[in-house]
Amino acid sequence: MVKGVPNVLRAVTWLFVAVTLIFVLAPLIVVAGVSVSESQFIAFPPTGFTFRWFFAIFESSAYLGALGTSLKLAVLVTITATVIGAGAAIAINRRRLPGSGVLAGLFLSPLILPSIIFAIGLLMLWSATVGPVSFSALWLGHTVIALPYVIRTTLAVLTDSDPFLEEAARTMGAGRWQRIRHVVLPQCAPGLAAGAFFAFNISFDEAVIALFLRTPDLVTLPIQIYNQLEFSPDPTVAAVSTLMMGLTILLIAVIDRLLGIQRFVGN
Amino acid sequence: MRDRAEDLALASPGILLLAFAFILPIAEMLRLSIVGHDGGTTFEHFTRFLTDPYYLGIVWRTIYLSIIITLFCAIVGFPLAYVMARATPSLRLWLIVLIILPLMTSVVVRTFGWMVLLGRGGLIPFTLWKIGFVGRNFTLMQTEAAIVIGMVQVLLPFTTLSILGVVMKIDRRLEEASRTMGASFLATLRTVVLPLAMPGILAGSLLAFTLSVSSFVTPSLLGGVRLPVIAGSIYESATKTLEWNFAAAQSVILLVGVLLALTPYIKLSGRRHG
Repeated sequence: MVKGVPNVLRAVTWLFVAVTLIFVLAPLIVVAGVSVSESQFIAFPPTGFTFRWFFAIFESSAYLGALGTSLKLAVLVTITATVIGAGAAIAINRRRLPGSGVLAGLFLSPLILPSIIFAIGLLMLWSATVGPVSFSALWLGHTVIALPYVIRTTLAVLTDSDPFLEEAARTMGAGRWQRIRHVVLPQCAPGLAAGAFFAFNISFDEAVIALFLRTPDLVTLPIQIYNQLEFSPDPTVAAVSTLMMGLTILLIAVIDRLLGIQRFVGN
Repeated sequence: MRDRAEDLALASPGILLLAFAFILPIAEMLRLSIVGHDGGTTFEHFTRFLTDPYYLGIVWRTIYLSIIITLFCAIVGFPLAYVMARATPSLRLWLIVLIILPLMTSVVVRTFGWMVLLGRGGLIPFTLWKIGFVGRNFTLMQTEAAIVIGMVQVLLPFTTLSILGVVMKIDRRLEEASRTMGASFLATLRTVVLPLAMPGILAGSLLAFTLSVSSFVTPSLLGGVRLPVIAGSIYESATKTLEWNFAAAQSVILLVGVLLALTPYIKLSGRRHG
């Protein structure tokens, strides 16, 4: 007769899980709390309840400018990373190119190489060849780090899809382009969509490359927050941060709908 | 043959992007690290960094803090991953979402949360003061403890999810067999689950270590200028004192360290997929 898990151990386990979750979520809860506090100063627990710090964001040209830059950047990065990533993932999945294993490794390498090393290299190369850093440099940099996410989510759905569908389309006389448009792309669609949302999130939240490539005219939202934190944090920082968290929650929900969030475990 | 041309055409935008915007920048960094003030080839930036006690102190702080952070992540991450793996699917989904939420939140936002919690008058120093451990004006900001707390929160989700992937693949019947043979729950955990999960724990820890030694935002905001780590030192040289060659040399040293840690990681995760 096998005894179950002892009750004491069970209690300890749930206590451990609860404490760990509180620890992991604490900074997010605190930021959300500060954002609705009536106090002029940053303090937790919050006193009172107000949305005025959220309204204050829309009166601050610094925040609005940074928000505009971040949104434009994230949208452009999403488009380029998704288009480039789709082609790369389809090619990797077919495994017909010589050295496609190496290619797959190369495409995923921005994921494990620390972004500070890449950021400084990009700053130096851009300055040496193009000139002063600009929006395009940041766009390029974010596309490189967002690309692996698109490739990964797309490969995840492609490996589960039926490769013979494309063969069948070929036998039925479909041309190259028709096969990609009507067979392969629809197969990729959920992975591509999830990858696109990941790419948006990566670009919108990224701080290291954006910090190295910042100029007075090129400040993204995370960098605007970083600047505030270095000098004079006030409750509007918390309000902006809370908006960013809200967007993240929304993106997670969408990705889960599209692909199931459990797929990303263990990678 | 024409199929290959088609695949090459599909992959070429990505290959070009990585060649010009990923490999070339790293190559440029490598090149600049050995260019001297006079434009000739030199190792003076490396010798400057590796012989100055100030910089060696930075390296040492970066390494030992990263080891502490990695240990915390592994010690908390393994049991958490095990509980997640053995929970019901719906509970597991919730736990995964709650772990991924901070993972996908900007590191700037998370660090801000810790600044509020750890700073003067923040919840944690206030509680410690009430209990009577510390003085009234106690702050945890600008301490190594703050860096460790903030970084563990940043990296724990990575480690946990990486271990979870391996624990999920462990055959539950092995645990049942062990229990039937009379081993207690804890003995089973120690002699059956832990050894099988070890590749995941090691891979997750190596990943946490490389991310930790190269992290910049959290240590610089929580540790401040008094406690620089190597990434902060690179940032100083690159953007404040504008010594690019020196910044490049420091990046090369960081890169070598990261690659040393990544080699076993790639081997471990390769074996897992193979």
